[in-house]
Amino acid sequence: MHKLRGIWIRLLGSLRRRNSEQDLSDELETHLALDTEAGVRAGLTPEEARRQALLRLGGAEQVRQALRERRTFPWLESLAQDARYGLRTLGRSPGFTITAVLTLALGIGDCTAIFSLVNAVLLRSLPYGDPRGLVYLFTPNPNIPIPKEVIAPSYADFYDLKQQSRSYSDMTAFDQAVFRMASAQGATGPVEKVNAAKVDEGFFATLRCAPEFGRAIGADDNQPGHDKVAVIGHALWQSRFGGSLDVLERQLVLDGVSYRIIGVMPPEFVFPASSDLPYGNSAVKSTEIWVPLALTAKQKAEREPTSNNVIARLRDGVSVAQAQTEMSAIMQRLDTLHSAEMRDWGAYVKSFMDNAVGPVRGLMGMLLGAVGLVLLIACGNAANLLLARAAGRVRELGMRVALGAGRGRIVRQLMTESLLIGAAAGAIGVALAWLFLRLLPRLDPGNIPWLNEASLDWRVLLFALGVSLQTSLLTGILPSLAVSRMSLTGFLANGGAASFGGRQSRIQSALVVAESALVVVLLACAGLLIRSYINVEHVDTGFSQSTVTLKIEMDPRYERPHPGRDVVFKGLIDRIKALPAVNAVGAVNDLPLNNSESVGFIWVDGYANRKDQMAEGRSVTPGYFEAMRIPLIAGRTFTDADTSRKASWTTIVNERFAKVYFAGRNPIGGRVSTDEQHAEWSTIVGVVADVRHSSLEAEPEPQMYNPNYDFNSASVAVRTSLPAAAIAAEIRTALAPADPNLMISGVHTMGDLASEASARRRFQTSLLTVFAAIALLLALVGLYGLMAYSVGRRTREVGIRMALGAQRTDVVLMVMRNAAWLLGLGLTAGLGCAWLAMRAMQSFVFGVGAHDPATIVSVCALLAVCGSVAALIPARRAASIDPMQALRMD
Amino acid sequence: MDDKADVWQGTLALMVLRTLETIGPQHGYGLARRIEQTSGDKLQLNYGTLYPALLKLEQEGFIGSKWGMSENNRRAKFYELTKAGKKRLQKATAEWEQTTAILARFLAPAEEA
Repeated sequence: MHKLRGIWIRLLGSLRRRNSEQDLSDELETHLALDTEAGVRAGLTPEEARRQALLRLGGAEQVRQALRERRTFPWLESLAQDARYGLRTLGRSPGFTITAVLTLALGIGDCTAIFSLVNAVLLRSLPYGDPRGLVYLFTPNPNIPIPKEVIAPSYADFYDLKQQSRSYSDMTAFDQAVFRMASAQGATGPVEKVNAAKVDEGFFATLRCAPEFGRAIGADDNQPGHDKVAVIGHALWQSRFGGSLDVLERQLVLDGVSYRIIGVMPPEFVFPASSDLPYGNSAVKSTEIWVPLALTAKQKAEREPTSNNVIARLRDGVSVAQAQTEMSAIMQRLDTLHSAEMRDWGAYVKSFMDNAVGPVRGLMGMLLGAVGLVLLIACGNAANLLLARAAGRVRELGMRVALGAGRGRIVRQLMTESLLIGAAAGAIGVALAWLFLRLLPRLDPGNIPWLNEASLDWRVLLFALGVSLQTSLLTGILPSLAVSRMSLTGFLANGGAASFGGRQSRIQSALVVAESALVVVLLACAGLLIRSYINVEHVDTGFSQSTVTLKIEMDPRYERPHPGRDVVFKGLIDRIKALPAVNAVGAVNDLPLNNSESVGFIWVDGYANRKDQMAEGRSVTPGYFEAMRIPLIAGRTFTDADTSRKASWTTIVNERFAKVYFAGRNPIGGRVSTDEQHAEWSTIVGVVADVRHSSLEAEPEPQMYNPNYDFNSASVAVRTSLPAAAIAAEIRTALAPADPNLMISGVHTMGDLASEASARRRFQTSLLTVFAAIALLLALVGLYGLMAYSVGRRTREVGIRMALGAQRTDVVLMVMRNAAWLLGLGLTAGLGCAWLAMRAMQSFVFGVGAHDPATIVSVCALLAVCGSVAALIPARRAASIDPMQALRMD
Repeated sequence: MDDKADVWQGTLALMVLRTLETIGPQHGYGLARRIEQTSGDKLQLNYGTLYPALLKLEQEGFIGSKWGMSENNRRAKFYELTKAGKKRLQKATAEWEQTTAILARFLAPAEEA
């Protein structure tokens, strides 16, 4: 404590030096005077008394020096001196300084920008207490070949798990819902869609989040009959109620039912948001309303899984593995309670964080790796620049050594300069990262959790500081070592023209070789991604990109039997069809690439059926295939007659379905059943082309389409020559007479959906390409710099050669040969590393071999061409050397 | 230095603190004189011994200083004990007494165990 205080005062002392020097002189003067007076009182003459006092007290100057060193930090002062000197020398060669600073700033900026993403996605805390304790519970079933994270425990299993588990402190079951919210103007205004969750009493406690005011949903609210209460989100409170405090006790009409508002959640709480649930409703970007789940006794006893989710919080000290073991044991007991037809329910405990960020960890790792390489290249460049400069300063530094400066002092001087460069680069780098974050919203693929929350918080700034320091040390260490090895006798013997000898130029060459090797790695990885992206863009999606789609929600009041929801919906479609701008119109329950998929077991007549064969199923209206331009391969498309309730069931399958189940047979007229008893059969009337439904990159699965007009909500696809917004406006006008409250949303083209589906790939490809380009630029600058430097140093040698008859082309070739050697070595080493790196990239590529020869060849060619250009400029300069001038030098 | 003893490292700080406690605020010359007298003129303090010790104590917050007038009307810097200094003195005194007691046992004429 007192030590610290001492240091602080000494720091202050450094600033207030002049004042305290004067103080000390006065104090010593007084001391001497008092001592002399005492001598005089003892009977000595004043002169004699003063002489004796001076003898006794010792030298005032020594004590001044001692105190000065005690009072301040001498090293701090010499540091300041170094810094001042460094700034002056850096200022004298602005070209060098700017190049070095910008080079490092690019490296540091990249690193800081990517780290800010990693910080937002992987490191920053979430508003859910400690998210590491949160786990999802699932009950996968080996008989249902779908991902393990789809089926959560049924309500009956949930209550048994809750009772029998010891691993969790809290556990909650909840379900997502989309409500039609009546407008604030009452029944006349347009209905709004609002994302909601139905939650049990454990929900808010499990997520460790309380309302900012009002109360959360409790056990009483979950009693059927008392459940018409709602907790609303901060955003809805602001937009709907203007943030008014009397919101509590006000009412909200959801799906025609009135709910009393009991609480408002804080702004950061929007759980479940899009990335929170493994197979949640991906259209839900954030949840705005929470209402009680309010299960009836019958629902609570239901063993069949529904669409609900289960999330739990592990007790302190319980691991995911322990919870998994316990849940497996419990589920084994509960399995016997399930109906005999569908058993083997398993258990799967998945950590919340793994679920949320697991899929993007690889991407973040790849980006960090890439910027790490860029930074290394930048460091190599800066080190080379410093080395070249140190060589140019041999005379100055040698003179300082000759005058008695210690090696340590010289090294410290050079390190101070590289620290100054690093500090400036760090500041610019942070500014670059800030620019990057401003651009981020345009790059955001929308499916990386919390990416849009990236910012320059203290952690990022600390990181930038750390990187800048590291960089300064890395770049400063080589020149310092080179200088400290400089031989003073050599310097003096050569009349001040000494150099560091061959060692330094070997170091410089090695740095350039290493840089080119790293660039090869980056270019190869970027090449793979670019090739993959081109492949994805050329995937045959099966549908037309220009088709406009919009979503229509059918009001629950149409669920009354007369005239029937299908009749109402067909009326709407007919109105759209009647529009002159519409060439074709059809509807589907789930559009391709909207992340919703319904899969079901199928049974094919005349096929060696297995128990677990599944197909994707979609309901479509006649006209859907025409509107989407999905090519018909065989048979016919649906007609209105197929949708009649009296008609025999018909279905249309895709090519893949026909290939798998009707190999060597004619699928038209074949029969497929989707019910367990195989009682109802649908006849295949047509085969259409494969459509990329779940993702652009996954091969299409067997698909079935069923004719239907009866939708709860449907996406309408329209073929038109009008732009999306214009046709949507026409459709709104056309449908208003039929139902003024009709909810129409989500207007976009199929191309938009496809573009959204490739957004992640675009994001990673463009980032990696930019980094590879920066790396290439830096490495070329490095190569150019080294060539220019060596040409400068060899001016005399070149002059002699030319005087002895060397042609200008010989000189150019000499320089180019040198550059080719360096590049060739770098390329060889780089290809070796790239070979390994490309294998690690396996999970990021699409439709390209991991060691794609085309990529490798292009990388080599690119490096060779760019390298030649970079070397040609110094080579030409070498060729233009005037031998007479060169020989006259020195 | 002939027969005058050198001041042991570290002990001067304790002497300064103790002296300031006994006689209250005092300037450098007064302190030096007082310490020399107390030591029975066995110690002699020159600039180089006294002032670094004073500066160190001041930096560590054990003594404070301000300018004032000496008894014979000279401008002089007066040092005084701070609260932390008083505490420090107590602790250092106890430690010193313990150290000397231990050393005394070692240096005492050997006794039969």
